[in-house]
Amino acid sequence: MATVSLRNIKKTYSNGFKAIHNLNLEIEDGEMIVLVGPSGCGKSTSLRMVAGLEATSEGDLYIGDKRVNDLEPSERDIAMVFQNYALYPHMSVARNMGYGLKNQGLPRDEIRRKVEKAARVLEIEHLLDNKPKQLSGGQRQRVAMGRAIVRNPKVFLFDEPLSNLDAKLRVQMRIEIKRLQQEFATTAIYVTHDQVEAMTLADRLVVMNGGKVEQVGPPLDLYEKPETQFVAGFLGSPGMNFMPARIQGQALLVQGDHRIDLPDMAELAQWDGRDITFGVRPEHLEACSEAEADFHLKVDIIEPLGADTLLYGHLPGSDSLMIAEQPGKRRYTRGDVVPLRVDRERLHLFDAETEQRLNE
Amino acid sequence: MHDNVVFNNKVLPYFLLAPQLVITLVFFIWPAGQALYQSFLIEDAFGFSREFVWLDNFIYLFSDDEYWNSIRVTFVFSGLVAFSGMAVALLLAAMADRVIKGATTYKTLLIWPYAVAPVVAAVIWWLMFNPSIGILAFLSWTLGHQWNHYVNANEAMAVVVIASAWKQISYNFIFFLAGMQAIPRSLIEAAAIDGSGPFKRFWQIVFPLLSPIAFFLLVVNVVYAFFETFGVIHATTLGGPGNATRTLVYKVYEDGFVGLDMGSSAAQSVILMILVITLTIIQFKFIERKVQY
Ligand SMILES: Nc1ncnc2c1ncn2[C@@H]1O[C@H](COP(=O)(O)OP(=O)(O)OP(=O)(O)O)[C@@H](O)[C@H]1O
Ligand SMILES: [Mg+2]
Repeated sequence: MATVSLRNIKKTYSNGFKAIHNLNLEIEDGEMIVLVGPSGCGKSTSLRMVAGLEATSEGDLYIGDKRVNDLEPSERDIAMVFQNYALYPHMSVARNMGYGLKNQGLPRDEIRRKVEKAARVLEIEHLLDNKPKQLSGGQRQRVAMGRAIVRNPKVFLFDEPLSNLDAKLRVQMRIEIKRLQQEFATTAIYVTHDQVEAMTLADRLVVMNGGKVEQVGPPLDLYEKPETQFVAGFLGSPGMNFMPARIQGQALLVQGDHRIDLPDMAELAQWDGRDITFGVRPEHLEACSEAEADFHLKVDIIEPLGADTLLYGHLPGSDSLMIAEQPGKRRYTRGDVVPLRVDRERLHLFDAETEQRLNE
Repeated sequence: MHDNVVFNNKVLPYFLLAPQLVITLVFFIWPAGQALYQSFLIEDAFGFSREFVWLDNFIYLFSDDEYWNSIRVTFVFSGLVAFSGMAVALLLAAMADRVIKGATTYKTLLIWPYAVAPVVAAVIWWLMFNPSIGILAFLSWTLGHQWNHYVNANEAMAVVVIASAWKQISYNFIFFLAGMQAIPRSLIEAAAIDGSGPFKRFWQIVFPLLSPIAFFLLVVNVVYAFFETFGVIHATTLGGPGNATRTLVYKVYEDGFVGLDMGSSAAQSVILMILVITLTIIQFKFIERKVQY
């Protein structure tokens, strides 16, 4: 168990590509950090630098209070679970799990004991003598987890460990991973591009984009107060609605003519007349009476999900897509015009140019 | 989906197969039959008399020390060719697997020797080892050793092994390299995290995963060393000195065309034929078998 510190970490690949610009992150002991972001944003690169599989170009990397930049992966006391599991195909499950311990020179019966204990935790005892190719995807995933926990490392590293599983198994393993991580109270870094996984697993979430960190914080903080338009759009499903708008006194003119009265926000005075981007999540658009309506949504596509219904449509006189999430009990038909009201507590204003958050 | 296509023409398939069948008949089945028949005969050198002697030729062969010597030479030779050819290829492939810059050039250069005919390769090596004019012989002289493979049996063996294995390295290299590149990077990385150093990783992870390929290459190389190295031996040592490099194939030639003992030569061919068939069956069994780790 240990803290992990990344200080001014930069990574330039040998072909000159700058994959990580400047990464600063202090991970607490026992904390589960999730790195999330679109494909190619540098999540794996960051994780692999912590693992020692990729050299850092600049900056300092600490595990505990030891600087590990120049240590071999095996000397860093970490364990990693790979996307393709990376099980040794020619070894039995037991030998796969015990390989690291064997390299540490532990006596054979102690290895056996530890492997069996880990196998019991993961409910794979009956598979110990099988070869990896005789296992299902979910079982392989468990073996890969077992190989990680059996060594009792200081840090767990996960690189999209669930992305090869089907949806149901993914949910199940997600809960399992959370349970194990809490049980062992081991510091963990988890990479995913699945935002549900990210939200549910993270103690703190790191949203990355183009080799930079956009925002770090507890998942709900990021959901409620995204610092940038990118974070706002990335978290939440379906994604946030964005519309060009302009501030006029204490009101907002969305797409030219939809007027939204803003609650008392003193700081907005300075943005008077300024072009901004207005954002609201689909779940914060409420069906209301004609009188209260901020928008009228013309419904094009309806997705009834049971608990909720998603309405895809557009504002009359505009092409841009707008999504609203409504309670499932009310029925809609295509072509309906639904009056909607924006939840005043949960609207988001971003600078149109810098895409930084404006409102508190 | 189509049902199986049915050809109503009964003649056409045979017609299309004919060239292959004719070649097999004329160049394989017929000579093989001839050899089998001759192996039961004793003829005098000029073909004036022939006598049907059943298995006498075989019985004589296996009681002949010369033949046993040739068997021993063949096994030593094949073992050395297969082992050295594969070991060097494995080493080169392991290095090529790490190369990033100029990888294509490096690989192309390594593959070239395969395009060289064995005899030509042999002549090149023969020149280099030639005790009077060879550069390698000269080098060994400057190191205080008098290289002469016309006299020294071990040196003669070394020359034929090197000349034969050299060409085979390319072939082995391609297979080993392809095998290594098919091993997922993450496997090696997982092993590195598990505390296994480069050597251990190679022998405990990479090599076991290459073992099916290694076995396949072993069979191919042994077949090559057994049957395709006549030209190499003929161009370098002529089986000498004192039969030190006279392999089974070379002995067939010597006994048949030099010694004109057709019956014995034919019997030896039959034995070689049985060997080829056995090795081929092993190879086919291997290819059919699903690769097992
Ligand atoms: N060995 C390499 N050499 C050069 N560029 C690389 C190398 N590895 C990765 N990159 C580049 O670095 C960037 C970040 O890659 P990385 O693998 O960290 O992305 P990621 O966030 O994990 O994406 P994904 O979600 O697709 O796995 C990408 O643009 C990628 O093309
Ligand atoms: Mg990745």
